[in-house]
Amino acid sequence: MPNYDRGIVLEMETSLNSPSGIGIESTRSVIIIRPRQGLFDLDLMAVWRYRELLYFLVWRDLKVRYAQAALGAAWAVVQPIFAVLIFTVVFGMFARVPSEGYPYAVFAFAGVLPWTYFAEAARRGALGLVGDANLVRKIYFPRLIVPLANVLAPLVDFAVAFVVFLGVMLWYGIAPTWKLLMVLPLLGVTLSLSLAISLWMAPINVRFRDITHTIPFLLQIWMYGSPIVYPLSMVPEQWRTLYSLNPMVGVIEGFRWSLLGKGSLDLFSLGVSVVIIAVALVAGLIFFRDSERTFADII
Amino acid sequence: MSRGPAIQAEGLGKRYVIPSGGGRHDSFRSALTTGVNSLFKRRTANSGKTDFWALRDTSFEIAHGENVGVIGLNGAGKSTLLKILSRITEPTTGRAVIDGRIGALLEVGTGFHIELTGRENIFLYGSILGMKREEVTRKFDAIVDFAGIPQHLDTPVKRYSSGMYVRLAFAVAAHLEPEILFLDEVLAVGDLGFQRKCIEFAKNLQKRDATILFVSHNMFSIKTMCDRVIYMRKGQIHYDGPVDAGIEIYEQDCRLGALTRPGDAKPADWPLFITGCDVFDDDGETKTIFDVGETMHIRLAYEVRKAVAHPNFMVSIVRSDSVTVCTYSTETDGVDLGTIPEDGVLQLDLPPLRLVAEMYAIKITVREKGFGPILCEQIGTTFHVRDALLDINFGVFHEPGEWRVGGTVSSARRLPGAAAKAATLTSTGT
Repeated sequence: MPNYDRGIVLEMETSLNSPSGIGIESTRSVIIIRPRQGLFDLDLMAVWRYRELLYFLVWRDLKVRYAQAALGAAWAVVQPIFAVLIFTVVFGMFARVPSEGYPYAVFAFAGVLPWTYFAEAARRGALGLVGDANLVRKIYFPRLIVPLANVLAPLVDFAVAFVVFLGVMLWYGIAPTWKLLMVLPLLGVTLSLSLAISLWMAPINVRFRDITHTIPFLLQIWMYGSPIVYPLSMVPEQWRTLYSLNPMVGVIEGFRWSLLGKGSLDLFSLGVSVVIIAVALVAGLIFFRDSERTFADII
Repeated sequence: MSRGPAIQAEGLGKRYVIPSGGGRHDSFRSALTTGVNSLFKRRTANSGKTDFWALRDTSFEIAHGENVGVIGLNGAGKSTLLKILSRITEPTTGRAVIDGRIGALLEVGTGFHIELTGRENIFLYGSILGMKREEVTRKFDAIVDFAGIPQHLDTPVKRYSSGMYVRLAFAVAAHLEPEILFLDEVLAVGDLGFQRKCIEFAKNLQKRDATILFVSHNMFSIKTMCDRVIYMRKGQIHYDGPVDAGIEIYEQDCRLGALTRPGDAKPADWPLFITGCDVFDDDGETKTIFDVGETMHIRLAYEVRKAVAHPNFMVSIVRSDSVTVCTYSTETDGVDLGTIPEDGVLQLDLPPLRLVAEMYAIKITVREKGFGPILCEQIGTTFHVRDALLDINFGVFHEPGEWRVGGTVSSARRLPGAAAKAATLTSTGT
């Protein structure tokens, strides 16, 4: 069965020039097991070979989350909509926080939209590995698959919330512009950040379950440290640079620019975000791969 | 075939570091305090940590198509070896080269999600085991057929009975077609029917020239499946070679440390200990393999710490899947041992064996007069019953019956050796 012969080629990790003895054995795979050498042995190809498992883990997450809920995928928008409502009442109506000339609800929603995705992806990515402890203990697969699946699954929620956001925008008479297309690369940046956080937090959580309790509250602090309920312009000028070290600042400002279409993109803070995220992501990958060897032993 | 070995391991070792002072650091606080403390204290070499080598310097070669059993007591390193070879954990030392597509079944059903339906789990579990979606789709009907639960396919797995759950999981696993298979003994926890399926699955793979590394405590399965055995002791290979000789060494070792105590019994409190458990045949020859119909004798030696009045000695025969198949008791056989003041020997002569071919263990329990509190409970020797025909497909035991065909009695198959002997039980105390 030549078909089947390619079936589990994804099991191989390192291909060598194996003795090509017999004709049928065209896709021989040789695996070498040894203690890992060096920090930079990332082996991202293994993740690619296991892409089907990645797909199924994402699919499982979505199925499980919505299959049993009466409202199903509607839950994806309940949370951000309520957040926007509360912010509009508390900050928009009572505290009269300025909103750069937009209706406060739209202004806040444009920040809540990327934030909800980011927070959910980072939370799940940080905690998900422990949730799949059984798999880690008994099955081999590139462990990176788990945080990857965890940050990919909430994209569906984002898509649903995004459609609702467009509706709200049109309701307020704001027309989308070509800048809307920039949501995709910005989403990529947000995903990278939540993945970077997952790669750092998930291994620590394997060892210290404290992360499980710390993450929700850290995320809440982080949210108020990002320009979601207030505009960047409210941050005092002399603190602005320091403030922009929060990578979510550039991201959220970018989203507002892309979604609402006014003003110009703050390339500086977005650039800072991208650089910080890139560094955190690469370092996170190395950290994760290094920690990975003991997952099965201590999880 | 001019291929190299399927598995080649050189000096594999796995070290675990156990932080002393009770458990690992589960919380930040303890890690932080230790971290801070170590800043101020001079670091003594390896302070506060104990190394434990679960596996040490393990080297072997397994050729393509070979079926190797791995045996050893708990904690001997069998599972660690399997986990390293299936790449779940990394070795601390050494290396292994594996040539072929790996399938590893260390547990059946890992990764099943109880909220998903049977159909969904087939795909999920298939991909977890390393099958392509296309492959699962192709084999889907066969898997459902094998599991035998077509009407529950769209029911969430959480509503399944545990039997259905395992059957479905195994049906998926059985359609994995690896070239090299790692099988852990946890597979053998199911009922006998399930174990049988496991063995059939392995035999099917054998026919296709697959290489199998099989960890088990069940010598019977090892004997049926393997043509070579690796006996692990204290993290190292103690024996590597033909099955019969290996099992003999292993059972010899088990007997040395024999009479283990089950559960959390506190032997120090026991007034009485069983110090020996010999199994022999009519000729007085000690052995561990009996044919169906042979007569078995069990001689128990006991040590008395505190005089016990009218103890009830019970000898149970426990099948390898933990089913107690029968129990002999001095109480039910009307033997009163009186007060036993000192060490002695007690012999139980069994009627001709009617148990079907399997592996059995002897469990000895001593209770206070009648069926009172347990004074002592120990596991003695294990033995095998052998027969070409009578296996568990025939039930727990086998007895000849009498058949009347058209009014005339005509006997069918008789138990070998059984006819001559009356099935009586005698018990003698000393």
